[in-house]
Amino acid sequence: MSGTDDDQSGGNAFVPTRRTVLVLGAVAASTVVTVRPALAQTTGSVLACEIPVPGPQAGGSYIGPDGSLVAPGTQGAAPPLARPLRGEEVKQLLQSGTTPAGVDPTSAQAYANYIRRLQAGMSGFTCYASLQMPR
Amino acid sequence: MPGPQYHADPEAAVKSVALDGLSLIFHAPSGMTHIVAPPAPEILAALRLGPAEVGELIARLSAWYDFEGDAAADAIEARLAELESAGLVRRA
Repeated sequence: MSGTDDDQSGGNAFVPTRRTVLVLGAVAASTVVTVRPALAQTTGSVLACEIPVPGPQAGGSYIGPDGSLVAPGTQGAAPPLARPLRGEEVKQLLQSGTTPAGVDPTSAQAYANYIRRLQAGMSGFTCYASLQMPR
Repeated sequence: MPGPQYHADPEAAVKSVALDGLSLIFHAPSGMTHIVAPPAPEILAALRLGPAEVGELIARLSAWYDFEGDAAADAIEARLAELESAGLVRRA
C-alpha cells in the first residue's frame, strides 16, 4: 500500500495516473483477502456437493471448448456428463487439471470452463461458489 | 518458452468500490467479495485490455506506473498467484 493521500479517489479510482509509483509488495506479502459470505456457514460438506454438467435446464446440450452451451453433436464440443461432478472432483479439476474418473481428459477443459461460467441461479452455482471459499 | 497467459473477467462481471487505499471487489460469476490492496486492482485493469503473460503484463503496467523495487517480475507473479487462487484471474 502506498499510504499516500494524493491519489485520485472516487468513482473510477483504477484509471491509471501516469508515473504514479506502484508498490508491488514483497513476494511473500498478501494483497487479497476474500470475504467469507454467509453461504459458507450453511455448507456442511462443501466437497460432497454436486455440479451437473450441464445443468438440467440445458439437458442434452454439448459443451463448447470455452464452456458455452452448444447444440448436441457440435463438432469439437464435449457431450453432457452422464453423472454430476462432486465438489472434490471439481476442486481438483479447477486447481490442478486432474480429470475426474470416467471423464474424457480431452473434454475436461471444456467442462472446467463451463463450471467457471456458472452464475447465480444456475444449477451447481452454490457448490462452485462454496468451493472457492477460503478455509 | 513463453509463460502462461492470464485472463481477467470483463469489467461488467466485477463491481469495484475504492476505499481508502484498498478496494472492495465483488466478483459476480463466483458471488465472492474480496478486499484487495495495490497492485491487485492495477493488475486486473491491465489484464482487462486482453490476456497477457507476465512479461506483457509488466510492459502494460510500466507504461502507466513506475515500479518500486527491482524484483518486479517475481512480485507480479506472486500477486497473480493470489488473484488466481481468489478466482479473480485465471490462466488460459
